[in-house]
Amino acid sequence: MTIEYQKNHAVFSDVVSVQEAEGLLEWLQENPAARADLSACTHLHPANLQVLMAAQTAVGAWPADSELAGWLKSALNSA
Amino acid sequence: MNPLLEQFLSEARDFLQGIGEKLMQLEDAPDDPELMTALFRMVHTLKGNSGLFEFPEMTRVLHAGEDLMDGVRHGQVRYSQELADRLLDAMDFVGMLCDEIEANGRIGANHSADSARLAESLRQLNARVEGAAADVGADAPPQQKATEPASTDAALAEGVLPLLADIPESVRLDAYGRAGNAIPLHWIHYTPAEECFFQGDDPFFQARGTPELLWGRITARKPWPKLAELDAYRCAVNFQILTAAPRAELDEYFRYMPDQVRMVQVPPLLFALPEPATISPAAVMASEEAEALAALVAAQRNILTLPIEANWQLGRIRAAAAALSGCLKASGDLAALPGLEAATAMALEEAAPARLLVWLDSRFAETAHEAPVEVEPDRPAALVHAPSEAEAEVKYGRRADDGVVDAKFGRRAEDAAAGAKSLKVDQAKIDRLMNLIGEMVVSKNALPYLAGRAETVFGVRDLAREIKSQYAVINRIAEEMQDAIMQVRMMPVSFVFQRFPRLVRDISRKLGKEVNLVLEGEQTEADKNIIESLGDPLVHIVRNSLDHGFEQPDVRRAAGKPAAGTLTIRASQESGRVVIEISDDGKGIDAAVIKRKAYEKGLIDEAALERLSDQEAVDLVFASGFSTMEVVSDLSGRGVGMDVVRTAVEKVNGTVVLESEKGKGTRIRLSLPLSMAVTNVMIVESDGQIFGMPMDSVVETVRVPRNAIRTIKKSLATVLRGRIVPLKSINTLLGLDVPPKANAEDELAVLVVRLGSESVGLLVDDFRATVDIILKPMMGVLAGLSSYSGSALMGDGSVLMVLDVKEILG
Repeated sequence: MTIEYQKNHAVFSDVVSVQEAEGLLEWLQENPAARADLSACTHLHPANLQVLMAAQTAVGAWPADSELAGWLKSALNSA
Repeated sequence: MNPLLEQFLSEARDFLQGIGEKLMQLEDAPDDPELMTALFRMVHTLKGNSGLFEFPEMTRVLHAGEDLMDGVRHGQVRYSQELADRLLDAMDFVGMLCDEIEANGRIGANHSADSARLAESLRQLNARVEGAAADVGADAPPQQKATEPASTDAALAEGVLPLLADIPESVRLDAYGRAGNAIPLHWIHYTPAEECFFQGDDPFFQARGTPELLWGRITARKPWPKLAELDAYRCAVNFQILTAAPRAELDEYFRYMPDQVRMVQVPPLLFALPEPATISPAAVMASEEAEALAALVAAQRNILTLPIEANWQLGRIRAAAAALSGCLKASGDLAALPGLEAATAMALEEAAPARLLVWLDSRFAETAHEAPVEVEPDRPAALVHAPSEAEAEVKYGRRADDGVVDAKFGRRAEDAAAGAKSLKVDQAKIDRLMNLIGEMVVSKNALPYLAGRAETVFGVRDLAREIKSQYAVINRIAEEMQDAIMQVRMMPVSFVFQRFPRLVRDISRKLGKEVNLVLEGEQTEADKNIIESLGDPLVHIVRNSLDHGFEQPDVRRAAGKPAAGTLTIRASQESGRVVIEISDDGKGIDAAVIKRKAYEKGLIDEAALERLSDQEAVDLVFASGFSTMEVVSDLSGRGVGMDVVRTAVEKVNGTVVLESEKGKGTRIRLSLPLSMAVTNVMIVESDGQIFGMPMDSVVETVRVPRNAIRTIKKSLATVLRGRIVPLKSINTLLGLDVPPKANAEDELAVLVVRLGSESVGLLVDDFRATVDIILKPMMGVLAGLSSYSGSALMGDGSVLMVLDVKEILG
């Protein structure tokens, strides 16, 4: 599992594949106020990304990789 | 190269050929729905096949062609000459790609632009008609279509260029620096297909990997629905990327998704702006650089005139001067730089902007006024055009999604059923079979010798008889087998004929002549080698005919002929030979002109000029270096023509006859053997050796009494049926210093052979039987022995050398 669902946190790590998107979508529907911890994430399939965008999930921690963080901020900050 | 690709290439060639043919036929019957459907199917199948491989350039063009043909099929687009031309162009391009794949195993990225251009030119035809339909505006759906681009217009226009406000300052500075160094920047809109996740694509990964990426962002396509309604697996995000990579590299990187990517070169001035508010982004993208430049200059002017504290004055002047010098560099106006520098220096000295303002006014007064006029009118239109189509395509894909799947499988099944009837076999395999059966025939022929030895050497008669009866069985099977293999090698002449409709069409259009091509007997079959050797000579003849034979339509009309000439190519089988007749109803060959030309070129002397009959004169066109054309055209007239034809035909033991009547037309008859594989030769004996003589050239065998041979000067001759036949001793010809042997009645064996139109007698020692042999050409070190046309293995294991009559007598 590259997404670990904690109480009110989804912790993303490594490369989050397309298969995770469905689970993420369900989880976010149940936990609309949850935050995402992306600090250990190195890549995120856009299916996951658009779920985060649609859910307007707040990001608790941006990825360590500044390039990825730049992309994600452009998508998630405006949402 | 993997077998699948090999098969694809071979099929693709067939399809391209078929498509060309169908287009030709459509030219005569533009409204034939069956032809149209057949054509569509071919393009469609070819496109589908190409999709199996990673050849986006090819698939893109074929896709456009398919859409166009679909339009034609449904009557939305009318068939036209232009359409045929463009489709043919596109197919030629695909053919070229096939060649390249065959040679290199891949397609070079440099074809991407051509591919896009061709696809666009095909789409234009489609689009033009859609536009026209909208103009008519009779029915509702086209109306809707017409308004659609307008709305996408506005939507796209906003995003065509990046908004400076969105770009982080550090990126902007970097971009500005690069723009100053004349590195082109591209702004890429990447709109992945909705269903791309299902194809295993990761567009985000693709976007992140963009070469020379400066900055990128991800945006939502439309407002997000409620989470419960969200389909996570339909891509709903777009990517926008700013990159400093060269266009070619970007084309290569995004080669698989050209329809999802829009690239715009970013005007370098866009980044030169420190304050995004000074210039409205809308103005930049609407009127491009000219207006941006003007706005920029105006901004500097404003800045310089603003009241300011004195200690900031110098910095402000420097900043404005730097911005202006950037403007000049960007607009290529380097000549004005020294003026600016001088003005700046003075302004700095005085610590007042007045000098710089004066320079500004003098330099940019007219530019400021002209700016709005300089807008390129076609640019925004072009920008908007393509995406609207891409959009349409996405919609089409979505709509067709559900229905298409079943239909496709049904079609695949049909294809398989049709393909099972014939096999595609590599020619090398057939050749191997051919060689094997050759060896089989030879070793089979050893059995009678064995039977003979059993009887004479070992004295076992019964065994000899059994061997002979076994031989009869093996002989029958071997002969049938040989026949069967020959059948496999047989090909219809349509293989060479099929290229003529296109050739005749192209050349006659180029020359402004009207020519109808009539092909007959296309099903006539001959050995593959023969058919292949026919190709070039036939092309020569047809070109000659089109270039020299046919007159211009008005000349024809004046001569009382129909304006359109008729070129007939007819194939038939006549007594074991294939005969191809090419006849035209053009102006024919003027024997007098030929004679004069031949004399001028020194091919004949004055005496021959008087003596030659018309037919003999006409035959002069076969002489090497002969050309009647005054001017060398790119079609013919370089003096390589008919002599090349004759050489090529004679190489496969064929003959050419040309008949022509002035004013009525010309007829050329090619006569070729059905097969080259088996040669019938007569075996002759001389000086204790045996030689083969091809039966084609043998006229007769006679025995001449020694006293009937006369010596004329140093040459021997005899009289046969009232004609003098020169005699040559084969021993002398082969350098054997032995006189020919006579038989018991003191008669010499004379083998009369044909040499061109003459007969020559060869003195040999004795005649033997005629045999069918498989002639192998002389190879390696022996290839230089031109007096032999080849060798063959005999049943008893000996080698038979087959003489080349022309070489030894010539």
